[in-house]
Amino acid sequence: MKLLTHNMLTSKCMKGVTVGYPLKINAFDVKVSEVDFNPEFVSRIIPKLDWNVLYNAAESIGQVEDMPKSIVDDYENNTDFLKKVHRVLLEVEVINGELVCPETGRKFPISNGIPNMLLNEDEV
Amino acid sequence: MDLKTPLFDLSKFKNVYEPSEDTFLFLDTLEQELQLILSIKPDFVVEVGSGSGVVITALANACKNISFCLATDINSEANSATAFTAKLNNVTIESINMKYLSNFKPNIFDVVLFNPPYVVTESNEIKGTGLNRSWAGGKNGREVIDEFLKLLPNILSYKGVCYMVVIKENKLEDIHNVVVDLGLSCYIVKERKVPGEHLFVLKMYRK
Ligand SMILES: C[S@@+](CC[C@H](N)C(=O)[O-])C[C@H]1O[C@@H](n2cnc3c(N)ncnc32)[C@H](O)[C@@H]1O
Repeated sequence: MKLLTHNMLTSKCMKGVTVGYPLKINAFDVKVSEVDFNPEFVSRIIPKLDWNVLYNAAESIGQVEDMPKSIVDDYENNTDFLKKVHRVLLEVEVINGELVCPETGRKFPISNGIPNMLLNEDEV
Repeated sequence: MDLKTPLFDLSKFKNVYEPSEDTFLFLDTLEQELQLILSIKPDFVVEVGSGSGVVITALANACKNISFCLATDINSEANSATAFTAKLNNVTIESINMKYLSNFKPNIFDVVLFNPPYVVTESNEIKGTGLNRSWAGGKNGREVIDEFLKLLPNILSYKGVCYMVVIKENKLEDIHNVVVDLGLSCYIVKERKVPGEHLFVLKMYRK
């Protein structure tokens, strides 16, 4: 699971959960692998992100490195910044771990990079 | 524009839907629609029920560096197969075990693909998370389709488009009415008769 995916996931569909976002990450095994850098894609995605959630997620798994705490001005033209965001969004991957619902504490295991979000019938 | 048919090898994944006529019709549809799909510059592309992963892998390959591609399936073996197929073809796909797109933020997907279980069966055959879920569609083969359609207005982004496979027994006229009532447009973009099945692909988007 990449952190871009984490930025999009919620547990709101569970019974009794009102926001369900962001999910907490417990990472047991993190991998960073090289992914082609496309500045145009990263620029398009930035306004769609919940930036604080991305930053905190990266920080919580020790992968923030020197990515700035807030979005810099004129980021479309700042290759250095875009590269740092690219790394956090697409290169960092949680291979094994769990996602945790912030309200109920329900754990969703991640194994071999695949999160298991399936709920039992009595949970929805 | 050409859409490369991906390599796949399901020898390690016995309980995953083997690419069949419906899958290949879906691939041909995406090839036909590719120019249009690329023209909307999709940020987020997702396949619901990705099975072997060949469909989303083909599209991911065509959208390399343009889109972020994800895939869900309720069958965990299908999640693994999808990840395996993506790797085999050197594309990036986020594979997730999930019912429909239930755990995603609303209205984020620009392209949504679904080749659903559309076969007419008894309702009680829609149970568990095994291979039967590939085809078991319940009454009129519509039970999973209808549940998905209800979610669709909360899935599509403002420019989002959804492609879905159906068969004649699913009652196209009625599906059309259901989709229009949800405030979406609905067209047939592909049709093919194969032995035992009259297949269609529908395209749905906001008016
Ligand atoms: C007809 S198969 C299609 C597989 C593959 N996309 C293809 O075209 O060859 C339907 C797939 O949808 C999955 N599925 C069924 N119901 C689902 C649901 N509610 N949410 C997610 N996946 C589902 C099944 O497990 C199966 O893999």
